[in-house]
Amino acid sequence: MIVEGTFTFAGPREAVWDLLQNPDVLVKALPGAKRLVRSGEDRYEGVMRVGVGPVTAAEFAVAVAVRDKVPPQRYALDVDSKGAVGFTRGTARVELEALADGRTRLKYTAELQVGGKIAGLGQRLLDQVAKLMTRQGLEALNQELRTRLARGSAG
Amino acid sequence: MTGPRRYVGERVRRNEDARLLTGRALFVDDVRLEGMLHVAFLRSQHAHARVKGVDVAAARRRPGVVAVYTAGDLGDFWRPGPLLVPPPPIPGLLFNSCTQVPLAKDKVRHAGEPLAMVVAESRYVAEDALEDMTVDVEPLPVVVDLEAALAPGAPLVHEHLPSNVAAHVVQRKGDYERARSGAHAVIKRRLRYDRGAAAAIENRAVVAQWDPRAEELTVWDTTQAPIPIRNGLAGLLGLLESQVRVVAPFVGGGFGPKIMMFYPEELLVPWAAMRLGRPVKWSEDRQENFYATTQERGQIHDAEIALARDGRILGVRDRFLHDAGAYDPYGLTVPINSQCTLLGPYDIANYDSEFTAVFTNKTIVTPVRGAGRQHGVFVIERLLDYAARQLGLDRVEIRRRNLLRPEQFPHNHEILFQDSAPLVYDSGNYEPALDEALRIVDYERFVREEQPRLRAAGRHVGIGVVCYVEGTGIGPYEGARVTVEPSGRVRVATGVGTQGQGHFTVFAQIVADVLGVDVEQVHVITGDTREFHWGTGTFASRGAVVAGSACHAAAVAVREKILDLASHLLEAPKHDLELADGSVGVRGAPDSAVGLGEIARRANPLRGAVRPGTEPGLEATAYFGPERGSTANGVHAAIVEVDPETALVEVTRYVVVHDSGRVLNPLLVDGQIHGGVAHGIGNAFYEQLVYDENGQLLNASFMDYLLPTATDVPPVETAHSETPSPLNPLGVKGVGEAGAIPAGAAFAQAVEDALAGSGLEITEIPLSPNRLFELIAQAGGKRA
Repeated sequence: MIVEGTFTFAGPREAVWDLLQNPDVLVKALPGAKRLVRSGEDRYEGVMRVGVGPVTAAEFAVAVAVRDKVPPQRYALDVDSKGAVGFTRGTARVELEALADGRTRLKYTAELQVGGKIAGLGQRLLDQVAKLMTRQGLEALNQELRTRLARGSAG
Repeated sequence: MTGPRRYVGERVRRNEDARLLTGRALFVDDVRLEGMLHVAFLRSQHAHARVKGVDVAAARRRPGVVAVYTAGDLGDFWRPGPLLVPPPPIPGLLFNSCTQVPLAKDKVRHAGEPLAMVVAESRYVAEDALEDMTVDVEPLPVVVDLEAALAPGAPLVHEHLPSNVAAHVVQRKGDYERARSGAHAVIKRRLRYDRGAAAAIENRAVVAQWDPRAEELTVWDTTQAPIPIRNGLAGLLGLLESQVRVVAPFVGGGFGPKIMMFYPEELLVPWAAMRLGRPVKWSEDRQENFYATTQERGQIHDAEIALARDGRILGVRDRFLHDAGAYDPYGLTVPINSQCTLLGPYDIANYDSEFTAVFTNKTIVTPVRGAGRQHGVFVIERLLDYAARQLGLDRVEIRRRNLLRPEQFPHNHEILFQDSAPLVYDSGNYEPALDEALRIVDYERFVREEQPRLRAAGRHVGIGVVCYVEGTGIGPYEGARVTVEPSGRVRVATGVGTQGQGHFTVFAQIVADVLGVDVEQVHVITGDTREFHWGTGTFASRGAVVAGSACHAAAVAVREKILDLASHLLEAPKHDLELADGSVGVRGAPDSAVGLGEIARRANPLRGAVRPGTEPGLEATAYFGPERGSTANGVHAAIVEVDPETALVEVTRYVVVHDSGRVLNPLLVDGQIHGGVAHGIGNAFYEQLVYDENGQLLNASFMDYLLPTATDVPPVETAHSETPSPLNPLGVKGVGEAGAIPAGAAFAQAVEDALAGSGLEITEIPLSPNRLFELIAQAGGKRA
């Protein structure tokens, strides 16, 4: 499965970069994220709850390793998640581009292998769920960014 | 005098339906026992991976969990399963036997392969415990595509083998090269045929109970072959065969995958019941069925046909790849069926066929209704369609010119069939079946009047007419015991299991005719090893042929006993006696008649009444083993209408003329054909198991795996022609797969005909509206 797209954040690239490296922010923003902690240098572990069609709200143990980091421009994530109803494995690449108007364009491409029940039962819905969750997560992060920027300028 | 009523050949309504329709028939899942435990299996999510460990500690601690087993817990019981069908003795044959294991130990080879077994107080707890387990795996590159599997450096499904080749088989007759060199035309195509799940209404289920006082293990199992399962379980569990009773009660559809597979679940449930001293039950859910129950799958054929100018077949050459899946416990039955059935009803003097069976990281392939025959039929029928087009012949005419003629029977095809016997067709009269199908479908009028008229009106209608043979009724043997009870009722016990075929009726008909009793007075028992424990099982369209002939032989033996006793009693010679209406009497003297119940009582003699050599009871056991299988044949004719915009296909008429020898009960034969056609239409246009490049099955539910529904299957018009088999006393041949085998070929020809002129060639089955839409677009692109 390939999930790709772009999203424009209402703030500067450095601020977006900081946001994306902060597990405490990510755990609040990402839909279904129940826990996300740093487990080592550029390594994170957590638990997500995801429902795909008839596979409802299943828990996945997620391990993420960040590599090829070029702050504040780009990085790659190796994702490995597994749960009773399936697994996903693969790599996501994220690029940040500073726009002339002070905003930041994020470009993402993830190539994921999906297996187990979620592949067998949820195949038709998987793309949609992945897109929806990505979009919701990015919107939430953008909201957090706005809040931070407003707080910053107010303070 | 009209003589006694005869049942064989009549549309006798089914003895078993009252029980089935009122919910009183026992299915395995109905078995509920005191203290029964429930099982769930942890299955691999990966198609190919090294297993480094399965952590079951948390699952064992969960309240309600009684036991959790992994491969390491099985001790000596862990061993690869049996090779069920050793390959026929074909010279030069290569076969690498790799059978499945009860629980994967070091490596998993297909998604869904079981890794651990939970036994708990309820299925809910057992399933919850699956979520407590973690599996440490190292994913390996996956083997999915048949051709890539054979490429140098491909990942290996079985690492002790040099490649993914499961088998390599060459069978030849005549001299194809010479035939080709003298041919007027040689036509070559690459053809793909994929099959799917059997999708029986009832999934698999096993219940096992160990009785420590009787020292007897009882296993209720949805198997098609209870006797081999009993014998195998006894051996594996260290019990006497007589200590194991396997009951295959009513089973909601078999179609092949419920054969004597010795599935992991089938072995582990009885093992756990003995170990734990409590009854244990496992019922497969539908999703498990998609991964854990065997399937049939794809073959790729590179085939060519050499023809004379008049359309006569000079020879056929075929090279094909067969997807075996991850293990090959069922030997080579499926690809050998493909290889043999390709010859069809045709006179093909030169044949050169070679196949390679390939291991892949997918569920195991074993027979599913048709069992590879449909692949062979598709290849020869498609080749004949292209040959007719190239030679400017009518498609019916090219078939007619090549049909074997009545004087050519028995016909020896000079290669070996799946039952290890030479492929010899026992009897046949093929042209009348073709003519009858053409008459019913009104072929001439359709192609001359109706099709041109509808085409002129912008509609895309087409017809398909295909011929086929069906190898049926193979050995080794079956048996039956017939007993007349003192009540006058008759019991028939046979070893084959029953999955909806109508055994309770057809065996009763055979016995009723021999004994002159009412068919409803004959009580049939199938699939219970306590009742009968010699035999093989229900598969290869063999029940009526082999078990039916055994029932007949046992009934004839009982009839002799009746006549002996009655002759003595009535003081009349045996040839003057007649059996009718449940009695035996002197012909022409109705008052002399004595009920069979009375004879049965006298057959159980009291003290002083025994003469030397007397056997008690009106009872006899008999066996029947045919020399080889009998070959049925037939013709399917389908009319379809295609909407080229949506690529939806409506099957508007479907005609089957079938010759399965003597028809025992036309109602049951029609039912087999109707069901088979539904399977065949599903195979042609709806059903496909879709694996991604990682070996993940993408449509493991009925949301996405489409079965044809009642609105997709038209009324099937059937007619029977009867060419008796000389290989059994009843003259019967099997009919279980006839409806399914040629449906893909008929569908492809009809759809191509409906879109004639578009350049469309259908060289693959299954199609779907999506796939057909692509093919129509491609054909349009090529033309433009």
